[in-house]
Amino acid sequence: MSRWVRVLGLLAAGGIVGLGAEVAHPGTRWTALALLGGAVAAGELVELRPSSRAALPMSFAFVVVLAYRSTITEALLVMTPALIGAALLRRDADRLIPRLSILAERSVELAASILCYHSVYESFHDQRTRASVLIALSAAAVAPIVVSDLIGLALRRKATWGVAGRAADLAIVTSAVLMAVADRGVTGNGMGLWGPAVFTIPVLGAWYSYDRLAETRRTYDQTLRALAAAPELGGMVRDGHAERVADLSVAIGAALGMTAEELAHLEAAALLHHLGEVCLDEPEDGGALDAAAVAEAGAAILRSTTLLAPAGDVVSSEAALSLRPASAGDAAARSGQILKVANVFDELCEGILERAGLALEALNSAPGYLYNREVLVALESVLDGRALLGSMM
Amino acid sequence: MRTSPQIIMKWITAGVTTGALALALGLGLSSASWTSERLPALAVLAVLAIAATNLKTPMRSGLTADSSIMIQIASLVVFRERGLLVGPVVVGLCTGIDAEHLRAREFMKVIFNCSAGTLSSGAAAGIYWAVKTPGHQSVATYVVATGLASFVYLFVSTLLVSFPVSIFSQESYATVFALIMRMSRGAYPFAFLGLGLGWVYLVLSVGVVPLVVVPLLIARSAFASYLDVQAAQDQTIETLIHALEAKDKYTAGHAQRVAKFAAYVGSELALGPGRMERLRYAALMHDIGKLIVPNQLLNKPGKLTEAEFARVRRHESVSVALLGRIDFLAPVAPHTTSEAASHAVESGGLVEPGIVMVADAFDAMTSTRAYRKALTQETAFDELRKGVGRQFRADCVEALIGALEKRGERYGDGHETDVHEFAVAPPEVGVGSAGLGDLAEEHATS
Repeated sequence: MSRWVRVLGLLAAGGIVGLGAEVAHPGTRWTALALLGGAVAAGELVELRPSSRAALPMSFAFVVVLAYRSTITEALLVMTPALIGAALLRRDADRLIPRLSILAERSVELAASILCYHSVYESFHDQRTRASVLIALSAAAVAPIVVSDLIGLALRRKATWGVAGRAADLAIVTSAVLMAVADRGVTGNGMGLWGPAVFTIPVLGAWYSYDRLAETRRTYDQTLRALAAAPELGGMVRDGHAERVADLSVAIGAALGMTAEELAHLEAAALLHHLGEVCLDEPEDGGALDAAAVAEAGAAILRSTTLLAPAGDVVSSEAALSLRPASAGDAAARSGQILKVANVFDELCEGILERAGLALEALNSAPGYLYNREVLVALESVLDGRALLGSMM
Repeated sequence: MRTSPQIIMKWITAGVTTGALALALGLGLSSASWTSERLPALAVLAVLAIAATNLKTPMRSGLTADSSIMIQIASLVVFRERGLLVGPVVVGLCTGIDAEHLRAREFMKVIFNCSAGTLSSGAAAGIYWAVKTPGHQSVATYVVATGLASFVYLFVSTLLVSFPVSIFSQESYATVFALIMRMSRGAYPFAFLGLGLGWVYLVLSVGVVPLVVVPLLIARSAFASYLDVQAAQDQTIETLIHALEAKDKYTAGHAQRVAKFAAYVGSELALGPGRMERLRYAALMHDIGKLIVPNQLLNKPGKLTEAEFARVRRHESVSVALLGRIDFLAPVAPHTTSEAASHAVESGGLVEPGIVMVADAFDAMTSTRAYRKALTQETAFDELRKGVGRQFRADCVEALIGALEKRGERYGDGHETDVHEFAVAPPEVGVGSAGLGDLAEEHATS
């Protein structure tokens, strides 16, 4: 069953319950609450997935509308079956314990939102003013996010503190407030459920954009790696060489404090540094290709595109026989030195991690003009951090 | 003597501007309900309209989208009485103020767009107030009025904007109109968002602005990042194509042409956007395995030896292995070998590999290769039809032939764009008349 079938199913379930309530007691408030329950359940399955933070469900926004429309008891009565329904249809957790764990976490987060709204609103002595409503709604919108962070901290999950990683949170919080105000207004002049429906549009836009972004980033990464694997499948390079060199280069670059953009270029260069190998004619005597010619051929191809041109500069710089002093602003030269060290290190190890100590020793004892000392120190620190130097000590 | 497009455009701009001025004059005489209390709302919405026009979101098609219709509809809700028509009209006028045009000193464009915005908003206001009559109305009435007003706004706007686009692109007016109306479908969600914005503006006043703008900007920023990564992905594939072309000069432009022919077939077979995207990548990358084939073999004029042939054929399994590493292409990867595609012809199954196979063979036949000069288009069509049921899917073959005939495009001998200089001239006909697929057959019978 596709995600959208499940989402529509949950919305329809809310609609059916609402219809039942309307038939039994025409004009009852439970009709709208049941529809909102369907929206909360469906919102559990539609999550914003920014790259820098854990997924953020749209139910965090719908629960604020629910809290604004109902008493605490009513809201909890609607929320519970909605969360159970969503848990049954989750795909990211296919076993009972993970499903129950998500259900429990989400129950606490959404309940916090409901309780937060009512306690903040009551602190204004139930006076319905623009300020009291906006403050109470904002508190309710922020509450599940804070509780989710606290649960994450308690469970030692990776936390997101950067502002950039919080953009999706901001989208959910502002949309939640808008949905609630559009639903009931401040003094009863709202649009009803048309309001939340309309203000779901920007969140859906954000969801779509994040979803496409994540999928395209994955495809891009896989394409780059597929291209990197071609020389390996052709038997020109040892299996996994490009991946290992890329991994090590990025680790060394990070240890040397390179920026995210420089690291991205370094990684692309490391993955594709043997691309030139597949473009050159095989030597007639059956011997090996000249390393500098391979690098230059690869660099020329990379430089023919705008976005990969910096990676081409790194590959070209790596091929330099002797060490060229890299000035502070010459990122390509510095990256080239890192790539050179990582590349030779992997060749010395021949893919066997136990040889890490010996390979490092060989690099350290090479003539000083060949490898950058700073890079070698960073390499040692990376290997040490990965506990790969045991054999040398 | 033909009148230049610039002169025609001046006349059209003069006409549209006169219409807008007449509307403005009419408003001046009938705006009895307008008071200075409305000015803050007008200022806020006017600024938002200019911001929306200038914060365009680039789309994959290379065109841009903006959310100015949202502000336009919001102005109809905020200035909800008939005597306040001046509000929506001023907001409509502001949707024409594009900083890019001003910087380029393209004042005629600005005047045209402002006038078109004024007239479109006047028309939208007319239909909106015809549906939403004064007095208490249900929200459903507002929704219907918004839907109709958006349609009228987009219709009038397209009617006017199609003139310059048609004149400068030299496409027929009807074609341009139909194209812009089709592209405008994406504006309707923004229109309904405008209904919400207008409504909540009446509740929260200017405080609503950041609440609406923030999620939209976040969505826009994520979408822009997606387009950036998409560009990086396209350039990675371009890198692959350059690598292949560096190996074999005869394949220059091959991947792009295969992608183009595949798109023709995909569109004839009415594939959805997701499958079309997958088809495009599969077509662009179908030769990735050739990276492992030595250049000398790819460029060898004449027949290959047994060992050489085996080495060349290995590229298919390497293509499958490499494409299989990309989740998006993994479902089609196992079917991209000529053997698998032939099997798929009999058993049905995924159509994408069949499309790529036909597009690849057609381009191979109509391009000059190291081992053979280009065949004529008619010969290539005959070869494709001969291979139906054995090598190619009938629906793909007929879709390609139909698409090319419909477009009046011609390829092959006498129509090649690349000029080839030969050290050893390839034969007129012979081995590889349909690319590697025929090489296999030739090899088997030799």
